[in-house]
Amino acid sequence: MRETRFFVQEYLSKHREFAQSCKFWLQGVQKPGFWLLLGSKKATKVALAIILLLVLVRPTKPVVSLGPQQEVVTINPKMGVHTRLTDEVEEWKIKQTLVMVRQMGTPWIVEYFPWAYYEGKKGHFNWSHPDVVVDHALAQGLTVIARLGFVPEWARPEDTITSYLDREHYDDFGDFVHAFVTHFQGRVRYIIIWNEPNLSLEWGYRPVDPAGYTELLKIAYSRAKEADPQVQVLAGALAPTLAPEGDPEGLNDLTYLQRMYDAGARDYFDILAIHAYGWTLPPDDPPAADKINFRRAELLRQVMVANDDGDKKCIITEGGWNDHPRWTKAVRPYQRIEYSIRAYEKALEWDWCQAVCLWAFRYPWSAKSYRDYFTFVTVDFLPKPIYLEVQRYAQGERE
Amino acid sequence: MRVSKRALWVVLILAVISLATWFVLARLGREEDETWTRIQGEGLIRVGMDASWPPFEFVDDDGQMVGLDVDLARAIGQRLGVQVELVNVGFDSLYDALYVGRFDAIISALPYDPLLYGDVAYSISYFNAGQVLVVRADETEISETKDLSGKRLGVELGSEGDAVGRQLQKKTESLSLQTYMAPQDVLRALKEGEVEAAIVDAVSAYQFIATEGGVQVVGDPLTDELYVIAVRLDSPLLLKAINEALVEMREDGTLQRLQEKWFR
Repeated sequence: MRETRFFVQEYLSKHREFAQSCKFWLQGVQKPGFWLLLGSKKATKVALAIILLLVLVRPTKPVVSLGPQQEVVTINPKMGVHTRLTDEVEEWKIKQTLVMVRQMGTPWIVEYFPWAYYEGKKGHFNWSHPDVVVDHALAQGLTVIARLGFVPEWARPEDTITSYLDREHYDDFGDFVHAFVTHFQGRVRYIIIWNEPNLSLEWGYRPVDPAGYTELLKIAYSRAKEADPQVQVLAGALAPTLAPEGDPEGLNDLTYLQRMYDAGARDYFDILAIHAYGWTLPPDDPPAADKINFRRAELLRQVMVANDDGDKKCIITEGGWNDHPRWTKAVRPYQRIEYSIRAYEKALEWDWCQAVCLWAFRYPWSAKSYRDYFTFVTVDFLPKPIYLEVQRYAQGERE
Repeated sequence: MRVSKRALWVVLILAVISLATWFVLARLGREEDETWTRIQGEGLIRVGMDASWPPFEFVDDDGQMVGLDVDLARAIGQRLGVQVELVNVGFDSLYDALYVGRFDAIISALPYDPLLYGDVAYSISYFNAGQVLVVRADETEISETKDLSGKRLGVELGSEGDAVGRQLQKKTESLSLQTYMAPQDVLRALKEGEVEAAIVDAVSAYQFIATEGGVQVVGDPLTDELYVIAVRLDSPLLLKAINEALVEMREDGTLQRLQEKWFR
């Protein structure tokens, strides 16, 4: 209370000074020779008054509350989207995104939580931004699947990219996973270890290494369970690709998954994360080893079953279609709507699939390319027709 | 006469400001454009396009790049007094290829993008491919969106026309929306009387009018998708020459004739 009174007095006194300075300024500018007073004490006061004015008129940050606890209304509890809130600075935009996700009828979200953002220095964590994201998601009744990755500078050699992690620093990543799971215990129940490690780009521009990734997975899994035995660890999230052995870009996802099993991955994940993009093919297009389509997820599932791991579930953590008018891998807008809704329906038919999270709900800024045509909502939060149609489906209003 | 030190300082400061202003203005007035110098020197302008977007640019049965934009590029080249070399590049790579100098300009049914305004320089527009209101050719009651009350409106599901239609529905009494799979389906439904009006993009509308007929575009475009020509930021003289050519072609009817040729 005393502090408040002190603050008010300070504020009023500053205002009084400011008012006096303004009075002086108004009188002063009318006097002949005012502009020759540069450098005088009075002019200094004027300058200070102007600075104070700028400080006082600075817009204040809007206060964003979590609001009452909400729940998602949907006929399909397996529906989800991948959000992009990592680089969303303003809290009201984070909240607005998650409100719209809830209103669309999708109870699951996948969100990226970059290691480097939260542990800029070994052992020093800053959870302020991810706390905001997670708390707003929970307030909207959403389940968060957290994707972990993005190596900080201190954990990799100079001139390497953020997906580069050598064996000497696997334990550092394990420490981060432990800290993350501990901090978000009871709030985040699903974590994905890494992203698309079967691409060279996602493996520090080195040749891909299923055994190396499995080693990382083992450490991450053990540290996560040590922090919270209830947390569910997702592995894989492999990029759908037909890249053959020795290809500098990456390795076929089916082959890579088998190599993971060969390296002993079976006991070190609870759920397989799958990326399922349909490109120009419909969601019911039959799967084939030499084809990239939505049902390629079934082939990954077959690899699991063949390795006596069929009791585990899968979650599609990325996937979907694009309706850019000119991109060669895009479909017509109506196809994107129909295919996306059908993909959600397929999740209900697949008892092994826990959720389907389509890419991507909204970008914080325009990608200035075909990528913008993956979204459900514009940067300005305008719902696209696909948003409205998915919403109608979730509400049971669509035949 | 005694002059105070303060007055001397003021005079000095004013002199420095004047000199700096003159220097900046002089620099601004002297435009340099290496691209334009090279084009004039070689007598050749290189134009990038993605030849997969009829009728603006596509590859014909003889393997030649043809279309409205191809003719436009040649017409501009003629006015600039230079030959035109066409470079076929995928749409997503057009800007990158321009930045690295694979060609001097993009003419490829390229929509104006305000977000790229600081990265490239755009010409004036030569075609508006935005959403338009289409009615039957014998329609007399509907000439703008205000007349849609109580009518059935056809749109392509999920398209920008669909988004516009849903917005109109909120503010127009008893306007019902019927969705179709493709713009051609929407326009056929309009022609056959399933709906009284349609909203589709201008390219689809003009193509349909040219091939099947029976419908007409009414009113101003409901949205803008302005096709423009892009050059690098350091090509101000090239941009000026292109803009002058476009104005000339608009005034002498060349642009209109190109549109009639490729939407016939």
